Amino acid sequence: MYTLHYAPDNASLIIRLVLDGAGIPYRTALVDRATRQQDSAAYRALNPAGLIPTLETSFGPISETGAILIWLTDRHGLGPRPDASDRPAFLKWLFFLSNTAHADLRQLFYPHQYSPVEAHPGHAEIISRRMITNFTLLDAAARAHPALFAPAQPLAAYTLALARWSVLYPKGGSRWFDLAAFPAIAALARAQERRVETPVIAREEGLGPHPFTAPVHPQPPEGSAT
Amino acid sequence: MTAPDLKPDLKLHAIPDWASVIIRFALEEMAVPHTLVKKDFDAGDLDSPVYRAINPLGLIPAMETPNGPMFETAAILLWLTDRHGSLAPGPQDADRAAFLSWLFFTSNALHPAAMALIYPDRPAGEAAAAAAIAVAHEQVRARLGLVEAMIAAKHPRWLSATEPGVLGYYIGTLVRWMTMLPPAPHAITLTAFPALHAVLAAHEARPAALRVALADGLGPTPFTNPVS
Repeated sequence: MYTLHYAPDNASLIIRLVLDGAGIPYRTALVDRATRQQDSAAYRALNPAGLIPTLETSFGPISETGAILIWLTDRHGLGPRPDASDRPAFLKWLFFLSNTAHADLRQLFYPHQYSPVEAHPGHAEIISRRMITNFTLLDAAARAHPALFAPAQPLAAYTLALARWSVLYPKGGSRWFDLAAFPAIAALARAQERRVETPVIAREEGLGPHPFTAPVHPQPPEGSAT
Repeated sequence: MTAPDLKPDLKLHAIPDWASVIIRFALEEMAVPHTLVKKDFDAGDLDSPVYRAINPLGLIPAMETPNGPMFETAAILLWLTDRHGSLAPGPQDADRAAFLSWLFFTSNALHPAAMALIYPDRPAGEAAAAAAIAVAHEQVRARLGLVEAMIAAKHPRWLSATEPGVLGYYIGTLVRWMTMLPPAPHAITLTAFPALHAVLAAHEARPAALRVALADGLGPTPFTNPVS
C-alpha cells in the first residue's frame, strides 16, 4: 500500500484529491512542519529536497507532485496513456502547472529565497502579474480539454490547489487573485466540492466547508500547514 | 527502433542554444526524423499569433506532433522517451519512479534557478539584480549538490556515464549556460561536482551530441568547457 507523507494544505492535498477521487487505498504519514520534520535526516532520505509530498511505493519513494501524478496516472490508468492522442496536452499542462504556475507561486510564498527583503514588494507585483497570466492560460486549457480537467483528475486537482493557495497565502500579502475572473476554474471548483470525497479530505486537513470556492485558513486536527 | 518515416511528423521550433537544443540532443540521439523551424527572436517571431497558437507562452521550445502542439521542455522529453522507448525508464520499469522525481526536480527547481542566475533582473527588477544573482548562485549550488549526491549514492542508469539519457542532455545544457553566461564570480564550476562532470563528459562526447554541437555552433565540449 502507498504511504503519502503529507502536511495539511500542502501539495500533498493534490495527491490526496487524486487518490481518493480514484478510490486508490493509501495510508498517510504526517510530516510535522511545526518541528521542521521535513528537514530531518529520515525525511531527507526519502526526499532529498525536503519537500512535501513524498509517495512511498513498492518501487521506492517518489518526490515532486507532478512526478507522483504521472506515476499514478500510468499505474492506475487515471488519464491518457503514453500513446494516447491527448497525452501531449496532458503532459504539457502538467509540466506547466509544476514548473511555471507552482514555481511562480512558490516565489510569492517564499520571497526571501529569491530576492533581498527590500525588493519583496516589487517582486510580489511582478510574480502576481505572472500568476494572473498563468491562471488565464489554465482557464483556457480547462475549457479546451474538459476531460483532462475534470474534477479529481490530476490537472484539475493541481489547478484547484494553486487557486486555493492564491486566495490564502502568503498571509498578509496583497490579494491579487479572484476566482470569479476564471470561469472554467470556478466551475471546476464547484464541481470538485460536489464530489463525495471532498468533504472527507477537507475534514481531515481542516480546510473548511468550501475549500475551493471559499477558502479559509486551515484548522487541521493534526500537523501544521506552514 | 521504428523505421524512419519518409516525411517527419515532428516539427521543432528552435533557436540555436536556447532550450530547443535540449530536445535536439534527444531527437538526434534517438535518431528520430524531425523538421527544424528556425525562429528569430529579434524579428518578433515568438510574439506572432501563429506561434502563440502553438505555444501561448511564446517560449522556446515548442514541438508540433501528430497529436497537437507541445511546449515545456520536460513534457516534450518525456513524451519522446515514452514514444520511442529509449533514453529514460518507461512506465513499466522499476526505476521510473526515481527518474520522474528527478526529471521534475530538474524542470521545476534546477531550471528556474538557472534562469534566475542568468537573468537576475527577472525576479525583482534591475535594482535588485546584484542581490538576486547571489541568492540564485547559492540556490543553484545547493540543487546541483543534491544531483551530485544522488548520482554518487545511487548510480542511476538514467543519469550515467555509461548510457545516454534525456536527463543528461537536459542538465548538461543548463550547466552549459550557468558556466558560460553569468558574470564572474557567479558562474558555476562543474569540477566541484565530479560525479555529474563524468556523466556530462560522457554525454557531450557521443556522436549524436557532437552533431548537434556542430550544427548549433556550441563548440567541441558544450557541457564541460562551454564556449558561446
